[in-house]
Amino acid sequence: MSSKMVEFTVNGKKLLAFEGLNLLKYLLDNGYNIPHYCYHDSLGADGNCRMCMVEIKGKKRPQIACDTLIKEGLEVNTNTPTIKRLREEILQMQLRNHPVDCPVCDKAGECYLQNYYMDYGLYKEGKHKKQKIKKSKNIEFGRNVVYDEERCILCKRCVRFFANITKTNELGVIKRANHSTISTAPNQKLQSQYAMNIVDLCPVGALLSSDFKFKQRVWFLQSSPSICHGCTKNCNITIDYSSTKFQAERIYRYKARRNEDVNGYFICDEGRLSYKEYHTNRVTQIEYKNSIIDFKEAISKIGIEIFIHKDIVILASPNLYIEELESIIKWSKKLNARLYSPLECYKDKEFADNWLKEELRVANAYGVMALEIDTSTPDISSDTLLINFDHKLAQDINTLHRIDFITHSINSQGLILPLASWVQSSRHLINSSGIKQYAPKTLVANKPILTVTEWIEAIGGDI
Amino acid sequence: MKEVKIVSKRFDIEGINHIKKAIEHGAYSTIHKMFDKDPKTIVDEIDKSGLRGKGGGGAPTGAKWKLMLQDFKLPKVLVINCDENEPGTFKDRQIISKDPHLLIEGIILTSYAIGANDVYIYIRGEYHQWQNILQKACDEAYLQGYLGKNILGSKYRVDITICKGAGAYICGEKSALLESLEGKRGHPRLKPHQKEPEWYFGRPTLVNNVETIATVPFIVENGADAYKEYGTSKSPGSMLFAMSGHINNPGVYEAEFGTSMMEYIEYYGGGIKGGNLKGVIPGGASTPILNATEVAKAKLDYESIKELGSSLGTGGMIVMNDSVNMVEALKNLLEFYHHESCGQCTPCREGTAWVDEIVESMLRYSASYNSIEQLLQIGQTMNGKTICVFAPAVSGVIDGFVKKFRSEFEEYLRGVCNE
Ligand SMILES: Cc1cc2nc3c(=O)[nH]c(=O)nc-3n(C[C@H](O)[C@H](O)[C@H](O)COP(=O)(O)O)c2cc1C
Ligand code: SF4
Ligand code: SF4
Ligand code: SF4
Ligand code: FES
Repeated sequence: MSSKMVEFTVNGKKLLAFEGLNLLKYLLDNGYNIPHYCYHDSLGADGNCRMCMVEIKGKKRPQIACDTLIKEGLEVNTNTPTIKRLREEILQMQLRNHPVDCPVCDKAGECYLQNYYMDYGLYKEGKHKKQKIKKSKNIEFGRNVVYDEERCILCKRCVRFFANITKTNELGVIKRANHSTISTAPNQKLQSQYAMNIVDLCPVGALLSSDFKFKQRVWFLQSSPSICHGCTKNCNITIDYSSTKFQAERIYRYKARRNEDVNGYFICDEGRLSYKEYHTNRVTQIEYKNSIIDFKEAISKIGIEIFIHKDIVILASPNLYIEELESIIKWSKKLNARLYSPLECYKDKEFADNWLKEELRVANAYGVMALEIDTSTPDISSDTLLINFDHKLAQDINTLHRIDFITHSINSQGLILPLASWVQSSRHLINSSGIKQYAPKTLVANKPILTVTEWIEAIGGDI
Repeated sequence: MKEVKIVSKRFDIEGINHIKKAIEHGAYSTIHKMFDKDPKTIVDEIDKSGLRGKGGGGAPTGAKWKLMLQDFKLPKVLVINCDENEPGTFKDRQIISKDPHLLIEGIILTSYAIGANDVYIYIRGEYHQWQNILQKACDEAYLQGYLGKNILGSKYRVDITICKGAGAYICGEKSALLESLEGKRGHPRLKPHQKEPEWYFGRPTLVNNVETIATVPFIVENGADAYKEYGTSKSPGSMLFAMSGHINNPGVYEAEFGTSMMEYIEYYGGGIKGGNLKGVIPGGASTPILNATEVAKAKLDYESIKELGSSLGTGGMIVMNDSVNMVEALKNLLEFYHHESCGQCTPCREGTAWVDEIVESMLRYSASYNSIEQLLQIGQTMNGKTICVFAPAVSGVIDGFVKKFRSEFEEYLRGVCNE
């Protein structure tokens, strides 16, 4: 692609773009609805599905947009009768051996094939083959990926992911003609720590996550953009959750969200499956010495504890948002407390790789450093009051005088206060490259649960 | 009928596979004089001769070679296409079994001309016998100092590696061939946006057919003008044409371009066997069939066959007499294409199977009344909308059969009233 701007036309409209830019990329990025399967921004053109055809002035035959480069004076037509008919024909071919089992397919509702049929289907019984080629419907590829051969339209996105992105070449096409199918090498399973991305990539229901399979229909899901808290990379994700009236909200999956500056198009499998943490082992009630107490009582207990202790140590989790850490800093100054956010215990050398996964398995370690919070391990004597804001280290500290604001339960005999998880809170994170990103609040728990800032406000009024 | 012997000049000599015998009859004589020449003059001579690729496309060889003369950072590679899977085509193996040293001589000249020291011969997997002949000939050439690190004491190196295909027709398509040679699945690549060489592991590569390369020694020895004495102005020279089917003397015979097809069939083929001529597939199965009237007009050169709406292809003629049932003949071909489509492009993957099924149902008298239209329609969807020209070729094959012998197809639909 050159830095020269050129003028070209799409459906009679004059447009400007860089010379040599991929036409399909341009069209998709600018809101044109061009049916396509095999092209993906991260994988480039492969030219096999033939769905993205457009008419180009001067060319005798329709051309695939994904392999057309924009140049001066290019005249493109995307919606002529010829193109419409072509899309119908290609679609008809793709459906010839397709089982059309949408009612039991997890991709239904977000399937390209289904979507395009709405626009270009023939809606005519008998247009499809009666005796279809029977293939396997549930092949375990490993790493939570299951493959339905019959639904595969052979766009090779999955194959190209392992060939071009991870360079591990874990999938390939085997057999020929309409018997072609995707396979791992004989007796091999997928091994990549990023394998589940192919489920996002697959435009149809051929690759599914065994973790999500049969759990929820996608039209019941709501999506919210967010940031993975699995490590200091801060990959951009979409959280898919259900919020049915009178029912507790539930997260069903994380998907990768494109951000060229951070994670590109992908996320790691571990990050993807970390949605489960939201539901497991959560603290929901205020407890003191293992018995439930009410909010008022808790607030007054906190007040007393703070009053009677001279030496106060506050531990702040490096998973908290910048703004939350700032309120903790403010509060700690007011209390004259020592504030720490040790990072050592979040280190995991084995987790790190040279792509996305990073050693520090916590979201805002770089935010902690930017705020200059002490990251060393504090001395705690028997007289010290420990106020813990969800820090991992706290579970290993044995002290009687403690107040724990926590999301997930730990072994503590002190005062335990439920804290909103990062999904239930919002604000900024700083990642390892210094990029500050905003994570909106996704879930509101059935029973309101306070965030760090809200807790401090609540207590602050009382001290 | 003027006989020509350019590639087939030593075909009839007993024991010519042995290098001693071959040298006695003039093989490798051009190599001794080769180092006095500037490589570029060889490329120019080939360009001037108007030599056209014999692998099926008929592209000018000189233009392809010239692309190799640019400055490249990585070493260049020469690949010889001996996949020869096209039904009706069996000329390359003839060269290998009847004069393998001619091919090796051509390879040395070509590699010197374009500056490629590494040569790969991609040979059809099923060609066991010819693989052995070729390997033996290469071994002899190494021993005689025509191949290896130090050709005839010149410090110039050429190494030939013979690679066997794994039995896929599509691996004859040059980019699929290179994918296969790289150890990958033989899927054709998307065509480049401008004229450029092929790429083997990112190295600039020239792919030429066996016969194309086997023609090179003649041109280098006798000059472009000697080659142009044969043939027509646009299709100069000669080609190894082959005949199979209902013919009295099937086989491979060299003829100059422009020869009348009928004359060739009569002269070399000894006429049609067992009946009258019905049609000829002119250049390997993938070229549209010609009916008897067209055959009478046909001349064996690229332009006149193109005028008849078909193409000269590999020059492998399949001759059919009037006992042939054209629906069955088409079914036979479609089965082949259904089996051999690489399966990448939607129209080809599904289309080849679909047309095969339709013709099969015709033969079983269970086709729907609009089957002929459907066949032509699917053919249109396959035409010009795929990565390689496999699918368009199938479309042409269907068009040829259905349009020229439509009544035979209609015969199978008589009385059918379903849907
Ligand atoms: C489907 C298909 C099959 C082909 N098979 C062969 C083959 O078997 N042998 C061959 O020499 N060329 C074959 N070709 C042509 C090659 O792609 C290529 O054009 C040729 O090898 C170039 O050599 P030439 O210029 O010397 O003819 C095939 C092309 C297609 C599209
Ligand atoms: S499994 Fe999905 S991504 Fe892979 S080739 Fe099939 S349709 Fe494409
Ligand atoms: S690399 Fe880190 S931030 Fe990205 S998905 Fe994995 S755990 Fe989450
Ligand atoms: S046209 Fe057919 S053979 Fe050629 S690349 Fe496409 S699917 Fe493969
Ligand atoms: S998206 Fe262009 S051919 Fe598939």
